Amino acid sequence: MMRFSTLLKHPADWMAGHDAGTSVVVTSRVRLARNLRQAPFPGWARKGQRRKIFEELSELFKTLPTMREGFAHELSDLDSLQKQVLVERHLISREQAARNEGSGSVVNRKQTLSLMINEEDHLRIQAIRPSLQLHEAYELALSVDEHLEDKIDYAFHPEWGFLTACPTNLGTGMRASSMVHLPGLVLSDQIGPVLKGIGKLGLAVRGLYGEGTESLGNLYQISNQSTLGESEEQILSRLTKVIGDVARYEKQAREKLLEDDPMMVEDRIGRAAGILTFARIIDSKEALTHLSMLRLGANLGIFPEELIEICDRLFMETQPAHLQWRAGHKLPPDTRDAMRAQMIREQLQSALPPAIDIPDLEK
Amino acid sequence: MFYTQVTDGKMNKTALCESCAQHQGITDPNGLLMSEQLMGPATSPPGSDSEVSSVIGGADECPTCQFSLEDYRKIGRLGCGDCYLAFSKEVQQRLPSLHKGLKHEGRFPAGLLEQEERRGLLESLNERLQKAISEEDFEQAASLRDELRDALKDQKEEEANS
Repeated sequence: MMRFSTLLKHPADWMAGHDAGTSVVVTSRVRLARNLRQAPFPGWARKGQRRKIFEELSELFKTLPTMREGFAHELSDLDSLQKQVLVERHLISREQAARNEGSGSVVNRKQTLSLMINEEDHLRIQAIRPSLQLHEAYELALSVDEHLEDKIDYAFHPEWGFLTACPTNLGTGMRASSMVHLPGLVLSDQIGPVLKGIGKLGLAVRGLYGEGTESLGNLYQISNQSTLGESEEQILSRLTKVIGDVARYEKQAREKLLEDDPMMVEDRIGRAAGILTFARIIDSKEALTHLSMLRLGANLGIFPEELIEICDRLFMETQPAHLQWRAGHKLPPDTRDAMRAQMIREQLQSALPPAIDIPDLEK
Repeated sequence: MFYTQVTDGKMNKTALCESCAQHQGITDPNGLLMSEQLMGPATSPPGSDSEVSSVIGGADECPTCQFSLEDYRKIGRLGCGDCYLAFSKEVQQRLPSLHKGLKHEGRFPAGLLEQEERRGLLESLNERLQKAISEEDFEQAASLRDELRDALKDQKEEEANS
């Protein structure tokens, strides 16, 4: 069984592999909510019942080929820092981090699949893929679902589909979402209408960490709202189309910005690069804001393409829990801010030319 | 949109996007008031007296897990899969505001689909048989009766095998 430290030493599979062509859509995630028949949902179950389900499901997961050499832990075995790291990696939810005994997390080595036991539902199967690959992510989650359904009786009703703790997930139990990077739409003040349009289509838009979180670094999550009355395929196709459209609007917005006001764009990107290469103290919000502009610079060819991947990794690794975990213990915010600035400087040194030479795009 | 709620003389202002507002039933004249969703309705609704509570769909406690309808009204979550049947009246009222449709169109777990198809087949055979009888088409009725008998036999065998 993999140790926590081994899990974190490796960047997740989906953090790598972006080029300028695919990078508007950062990741695609699909999660399926499943429950056992006639057993009380985790929020209503007593501790003993939760434990029993935890043990039953953990045993079953050992029969999953993809989970061999994976990471599996009961959340009560992890300290608050470790749990927070898993939240920052999107491997467990914020809600689950608050749960303890009888709640657990199983993650495969590549960090593309994560199983949450006794979160809001008995089981949540989550798959993550880079870029716009919702169908591929669904296939991955489905492979686990099909393996398990032979062995357990799911709570299911022919009229209502998979029965979930909250009626908002009823039916397919499927929530599919993509994280998109939209600096062009934000800079050109078009983000409001675009988000409103997405909402009108019955889809939800949220910030970086799901429900109720604000948008940081121009990153947004677009997901389906409805889970009943449509097939998985219909939901995934509709979502893929809308996200593809949003990516196209973003690219158009970037092109138009460069056409209309290249000086403003280059100035914003250059300033971000300046702060990140020279700052000695930087909080996570400021870091995300500037890394977002730097990533845009790499997308527009102002900086080398490899910077996209470095930015994506830094998005993750400069977050508070990741920083503290790397240091080996909890740190006060000001120490974290200094550590963060140093880490960014080091990482950018190799990717950015020492004297920043921004090519004149007007030529 | 902006939503202002006054409780106990205190004003509470909330800014909501259209979809959130709809989600919480604020723009829906038939939807529950936000205060009711949070604190429960002021008077006990119809269906909560003991006479009605034994009726499936209108129970005030789930027979499987003892989760109460009152708790569902407060937190919007259910206690177990069977709560959906026990509180189906109340849950079904809420579904149109949450979802595109009211019927599951997604996949079935392996095995359940065959079961469901067989149930559908038996139902339709039975309906056609009743119709044939009422129309006094006895030739048709006899053939349908045989088909139905075979289907039921198949089902019993399958059940014995599994």
